[in-house]
Amino acid sequence: MVRWLRQEATPGARRSGATALCIAMAVVVGTAGCDALSLPHPFAKTPQVSPIKVGLLHSQTGTMAMSETPLRDAEQLALLEIEAKGGIDGHPVEAVIEDGRSRADVFPRRAHQLFEKDGVVALFGGWTSDSRKAMEPVIAAAKGLLFYPVQYEGNECSPDIVYTGPTPNQQILPALDWFLSPAGGSKRRIYLLGSDYVYPRTANFIARKYLAAKGVEVVGENYVPLGHKDFRPVVETLHAASPDLVLSTINGDSNIDFYKELARQGVRAAEIPVVATSVGENELRALLPSTVEGHYAAASYFQSIDTPANHEFVDKFQQEFGLDRVTDDPMEAAYVQVKLWEIGVRKAGTAAPAAVLAALAAGTEFDGPGGRTKVDPKTHHLFKTFRLGRIGSDRQFDVVFESPEWIAPDPYPAFAFPGWRCDWTQGAPVAGPAVDMGASARAVAH
Amino acid sequence: MDWIFDIPTWEFAALTSSAFILFSWFGAIFLRPILRPLLGGRAGLNDIVGYILSLFGVFYGLLLGLLAVAAYQGYGTTQGIVAKEASALAALKEDIAAYPEPKRQNLIWILRDHTRYLVKEAWPQQRRGLIPRGGDVRMTAFQENLLRFQPSTTGEELMHAETLRQFNVYYEARRMRLQAIGTSIPSTMWYVVLFGAVINLVLIWLFDMSLLSHLFLGGILAAFVGAMVFLIADMDNPFRGAVSISAAPFEPILAELMED
Repeated sequence: MVRWLRQEATPGARRSGATALCIAMAVVVGTAGCDALSLPHPFAKTPQVSPIKVGLLHSQTGTMAMSETPLRDAEQLALLEIEAKGGIDGHPVEAVIEDGRSRADVFPRRAHQLFEKDGVVALFGGWTSDSRKAMEPVIAAAKGLLFYPVQYEGNECSPDIVYTGPTPNQQILPALDWFLSPAGGSKRRIYLLGSDYVYPRTANFIARKYLAAKGVEVVGENYVPLGHKDFRPVVETLHAASPDLVLSTINGDSNIDFYKELARQGVRAAEIPVVATSVGENELRALLPSTVEGHYAAASYFQSIDTPANHEFVDKFQQEFGLDRVTDDPMEAAYVQVKLWEIGVRKAGTAAPAAVLAALAAGTEFDGPGGRTKVDPKTHHLFKTFRLGRIGSDRQFDVVFESPEWIAPDPYPAFAFPGWRCDWTQGAPVAGPAVDMGASARAVAH
Repeated sequence: MDWIFDIPTWEFAALTSSAFILFSWFGAIFLRPILRPLLGGRAGLNDIVGYILSLFGVFYGLLLGLLAVAAYQGYGTTQGIVAKEASALAALKEDIAAYPEPKRQNLIWILRDHTRYLVKEAWPQQRRGLIPRGGDVRMTAFQENLLRFQPSTTGEELMHAETLRQFNVYYEARRMRLQAIGTSIPSTMWYVVLFGAVINLVLIWLFDMSLLSHLFLGGILAAFVGAMVFLIADMDNPFRGAVSISAAPFEPILAELMED
């Protein structure tokens, strides 16, 4: 703040003389002179304080729009709250919003435009890991900062990204633990199904390793392209494998067709429950309750969490965007990440990305709608609570399990990535031996 | 000149008239004593100046009058476009209410998002002379969602066809509104208007009258010319300034969508 004030005080003083000249010119030549000299006009009400620009880059069209558009709304809610407080240290925060169009090749182009042309200092964006990985070099080149709000596969440690969604050890592994336990039905035959891109592939690699260590059989593994619609053969294959649990990492609106097909072929949640990692209240809105009731989702947040902070968040969101709108896990992370950025800017006294990251990495904590969270200084991920929800008849989740404490993030679980470690407090991540995920995937592919 | 739209109407009007009055007085006090001797002091000069001023006044008055009418017509046309857009949006909202669940709710959410954007974000941008871009993606998302619907009965087919037609009507009106944001009187024409105003006032200075009469009569004429220029400028950009088209036609639609 001090730096900003110093930057503005001197030009402001200089402007007074120019403004007087402008008044004289306005009277004599009908004010055109002010524009010719680009001087501030004495009557103009344009704020003289420069805004802090941030970018919101999510898919608002295409197959991921259903999931990603609500993230934009949640981020806008957080920005509206900042605006209601008068900005940050007197500086208004201005959002520049772009559409990733559900295409990994569009995200880096838009990110480049946001940093280089629009002058944003931070970017809140992405959903698929493909989009995140495509943006990373652009963020690094621009010396910017990306806040990424979605659950992802780990196996990554970027100095330019703050990961606010859960890693597999905060989402998939606790979910599997619960289903392997008596409370979850002691499942022993797991089927892995996902969209065909880096997150589901890597997440399933981790799940396979974990299940193998527990002596649990993976009875099948299958991938469908993003945006896939025809799930008839997929569900037939799945059904034929006789699993007692399906771990689904399907993303986007393919989920609608998947659950519809499950219901059409009579695959009931009581017999073969599906636990999804990328299905929340927003995805469920496109499905009839009878189609999805009884299935599960693993997350850190559900709209049904009964806490004052969450009620306040949901109320504010619905007042702003519609009384029937729902909130879900990535939305909560999207909201929280803007709040964290705000805290970082206030702590750093500047919006410069490096300073904000340093302020956040000092262990910044925040009480979010999903509970208390903290930025991990080592990994720049968040400590998060795990929750498992069962879909009810109202398309909301009944929380059937909640971790007693928050879980530290681990982007490199040792059983899957031996020798790998992410620790920015030591200066750089440690790389272990190369891991061949493809060979393992092929070994069980159906 | 964009700042003129950020100030209240009365300030803008007062500023324009004052600028012309002061220019007129400045000339009457300092330039008239220099200009008048250049024309010689022969009798009947006032009649000649009066004749030229009348002739000039006809042309200048016509120019100002036509410009004022053009600006008003442009304002009225744009107001009509906005009214058509709002009506088409309301009709579209009614059309999608007939879709089966959960399609209906999805379409309502996107349309609500679009209407909210129109009222809360696009309109303030338009008032700043910017062309809002956020509506494009919302329209694309709406269209994508609409085209994904597979009618299963003849009734649904008819309803779907009507919704697509209504969507096109809305889309067309929206494009016309966006085009209207950037339309205004060309700057060349403004230079002619200002040049004409200067000639008008210079001719006044040439009259052989007492200084007090000059200040009074010249001031009145200058104030009126300033008022005309203010009127044209204020109506020239239909989305800017105090005299501008508001988002009011969309507000009741948003209120209904918020409760849907």
